[in-house]
Amino acid sequence: MQQAALEAIDLRAGYGDVRVLDGVSLRLDPGEIVALIGANGAGKTTLLRTVSGLVRARGGSVSLYGARIDGLAPHRVAEAGFVQSPEGKQLFLGMSIQENLLVGAHNRRAYARRRTTIDEVYGLFPILAERRDKAASTLSGGQQQMLAVGRALMARPRVLALDEPSLGLAPIMVDRLFEAIRAVRRLDIPILVIEQNVFQVLSMADRGYVLENGRVTLSGSGRDLIENEHLRATYLGL
Amino acid sequence: MAPMDPLILSFALVNGLLIGGIYGGVALGLSLIFGVMRVVNFAHGSLLMLALYATFWLQALAGIEPYASIVVTVPLLFALGFLIQSVIIAPLIRRESALVVEPLSALLLTAGVYLVIDNLALMAFGPDVRSATTGFALEPLMLGPIPVNMQRLIAFSAAILSAILLSAWLRGTRMGRAIRATAQNRDAAALSGIDVPLVYAVTFGIGAALLGLFGSLLATFIPITPQVGLSFGIRSFIVVVLGGIGSIPGSIVGGLVIGVFEALASQFVPATSAAILSLGLFVLILLVRPSGLMGRA
Repeated sequence: MQQAALEAIDLRAGYGDVRVLDGVSLRLDPGEIVALIGANGAGKTTLLRTVSGLVRARGGSVSLYGARIDGLAPHRVAEAGFVQSPEGKQLFLGMSIQENLLVGAHNRRAYARRRTTIDEVYGLFPILAERRDKAASTLSGGQQQMLAVGRALMARPRVLALDEPSLGLAPIMVDRLFEAIRAVRRLDIPILVIEQNVFQVLSMADRGYVLENGRVTLSGSGRDLIENEHLRATYLGL
Repeated sequence: MAPMDPLILSFALVNGLLIGGIYGGVALGLSLIFGVMRVVNFAHGSLLMLALYATFWLQALAGIEPYASIVVTVPLLFALGFLIQSVIIAPLIRRESALVVEPLSALLLTAGVYLVIDNLALMAFGPDVRSATTGFALEPLMLGPIPVNMQRLIAFSAAILSAILLSAWLRGTRMGRAIRATAQNRDAAALSGIDVPLVYAVTFGIGAALLGLFGSLLATFIPITPQVGLSFGIRSFIVVVLGGIGSIPGSIVGGLVIGVFEALASQFVPATSAAILSLGLFVLILLVRPSGLMGRA
């Protein structure tokens, strides 16, 4: 079997007495887009925060291309190559677009190549190049999401995670964003994406996992999941 | 009210500007630390006091010129600030699960640091008033008929220059950008690959290093006692809140406002009442502009 780009095995985490992840296992292979689906509170964001090292894992393991990354500090995880665009964008709103992107390239591996990467990101999202010296707060919601994805790309991710990139966007912007995600895949970066637009993300994803109450309850190819009765009833309202 | 001689009034104005700029310079580090970490460093003045004593002892024991002692006091205070953050405050931040430190617990912690440093200084150095003297013959500069004290002018210029250099450094360097990003969003900074604990320690170090600079520059004209820090610390706090928390130019502007106001008011009322009046001005300005003169609303 090919080495996984990202592999979590029996991952457990929580806050205080609350157990959020109750033994989650998932894998992401090189070149894949994998969707993570689940209701609010199922543990999707906590999963990403745990992999990133913002929440300490209480059990299980996480490996990136075979190297363990669980227990590392967040900046070490980013340097190792797992980079996420967090829920709610979390931009540095008082800083310019260009500065947001440069901060994204802070890790040593990415910093040396920041000039090349920033041209790639500007190529992917021309609107960011046009407004590079403007404050991030002046961008529209959709443009801010582009910036959040661009900032994550600046870190030269070996695995990219996107937490609800389409949240709050107008339908036309959602289409554009999904186009951008496909473009990122062509850069040969595997992507783990959390989405509320279940139908759209499953149409694009190679595989998907459904997270319920801190456990993976269903997984399969994007097509199989769209056909799945339980998933159709619960998340697509069909 | 006594009729005012315009010459005396302009002398007071010039002095107020000089002292105000110095207040602003002393407050820079407090503003930086508060802006980045949301920690009120109650030990701010104590660190200035240590820098003053370092300058005094370097001269008393090794004959080092106060102005030259900058090369020792600045790195020394940087190291001290770096240590205070990484040894004393960092464990508290690690325990916080929320985005920012509970302001009260950090305040209590730094208040403890203040008590320890000030009392250790009292034990070690005694209550005697000390002073350092510069070997340079610094004649007052005549601004028309108004004499300008050179030591104060030097410290004032250093304040303006450090504010400019600090702003430029925060804008133009990788570490400076990392500090600003961490100030705006700690988690997003960490996810971008920034070593947040290191940024905090460097920020605290820089805030303290600035006090090392001003300790050496002020040692030649203010009396040095173990308690001298507190009044500077409190005034710095007022300056920072008045100017806008985390704003570098705000720190200087806040200092100038307080300095000039106190100097002019003390021409009409006794100096102690002038200090009370400046607190009144402080409250008044905050009623109109709660985020400070240069702060973002």
